[in-house]
Amino acid sequence: MREVYKTGQKLQIVSAIKSNDSVTLRRIYTSNYPKVETLVLKNNGTKDHAKDIFQEAFLAVWQNVKQDKFIPQNESSINGYLYTIAKNKWMDVLRSQGYKKTVIASQLSYFEIKDGENNGIDDDILKDKRLEDVMLAFKDLGDACKSILRMFYFEKKSMNLIAEELKLDSASTRNKKYRCMQKLRQIALKNN
Amino acid sequence: MDLRNISQEEFEIIEAYLTDTLSDEDSLKFEDRLKNEDGFATKVEDIRTVLTGIETQALKEQLDHFHHDLSTDKNKTTKKPKVKSLNWKRITVAAALIIAAGSFWFLNDNTNERLYAKYFTPDPGLPTTMGSNENYEFYEAMVSYKQGNYQDALNTWKNQLKTKTTNDTLNYFVGSALLAYKKENEAISYLLEVTKQANTTFKNEAFYYLGLAYLKANNKNEAINFLKKSDFTKAKDLLKKLN
Repeated sequence: MREVYKTGQKLQIVSAIKSNDSVTLRRIYTSNYPKVETLVLKNNGTKDHAKDIFQEAFLAVWQNVKQDKFIPQNESSINGYLYTIAKNKWMDVLRSQGYKKTVIASQLSYFEIKDGENNGIDDDILKDKRLEDVMLAFKDLGDACKSILRMFYFEKKSMNLIAEELKLDSASTRNKKYRCMQKLRQIALKNN
Repeated sequence: MDLRNISQEEFEIIEAYLTDTLSDEDSLKFEDRLKNEDGFATKVEDIRTVLTGIETQALKEQLDHFHHDLSTDKNKTTKKPKVKSLNWKRITVAAALIIAAGSFWFLNDNTNERLYAKYFTPDPGLPTTMGSNENYEFYEAMVSYKQGNYQDALNTWKNQLKTKTTNDTLNYFVGSALLAYKKENEAISYLLEVTKQANTTFKNEAFYYLGLAYLKANNKNEAINFLKKSDFTKAKDLLKKLN
């Protein structure tokens, strides 16, 4: 019985993340950010560093859950995973050239730098050039197109619901989606 | 190969494949094309990247909202004003601005607040009958809710939501309880979740309470937006007063 319950819980959190459920994502974000901020602040970083690192880590966790590369047992395993990725990322920053000059290893109070601690976690999802171009293009896409693509692919609303919201029939909604898609891809190719 | 050159039909079939909504038969045909048609696999990969890009960027923008909420919550409690040297000219200008903005906000707030008070009554809740209820916890919390012990009800329901994130009944009553508990900003996200469900029985209620929540939060445009979507006479009534 207990096992059944556990499996149910696992499926629920995974499907909530896969469907971009905003309540769940917000809860994960707000409950984990403070720990990461403390870590970065205590190790020669600023609040801005903390925010960037945390958001990068958050996107990596989300992507890995979506692609079934990481299957969390429950919410606390997500929290641990997110913290580890953020920590790895911040260590990479500290190890990088710009930082080595100014930071003395002994000043790092919160963790020791160990090599090979990455555990083979794949957290580099954003390093694909084409993906980056698409993201930039989407950022600058006009509001109307942005909103319709957002409803389809992020909020994952049903076709009927979106058509209703736009006050269009479903054929015109589909056509509008297609045209927005073309526009987005054109901008992304131009940026290239 | 020109990636831009893709017809609506072709785009839709690739999209269906990537979102796993093709029928078995079409799926087989598709896989066949993937193997045999020159350049098709590249096209499919490109569309996959584009869909991922949209989703990732949309989430990234939402993360900034989460972050913003985080810092406004903190500022309220931790920021202390620091005045290092007094610059009277600046202070006078600032004071004038604050008073102007404040009185505008106050007046504006006042009408919205009054309308809200007039129209808001908490949802009466679901009937709780004694007996063989499988969902005992839920109804126990419903009793608390009806007695006005919103905090107790919220504790239980929010806990249940962790494992049933899209359940419309839970989202709706968490939203209602938060609203009754004067946490309209928090209530909004739960009520929005309800409206995402295509077949929810709480649709009209959710839209109406969303309208009220935005009114309370002093966002008249959004309030009007949501009230329009509700079929309630109360909603239509309130709309007339807002317009």
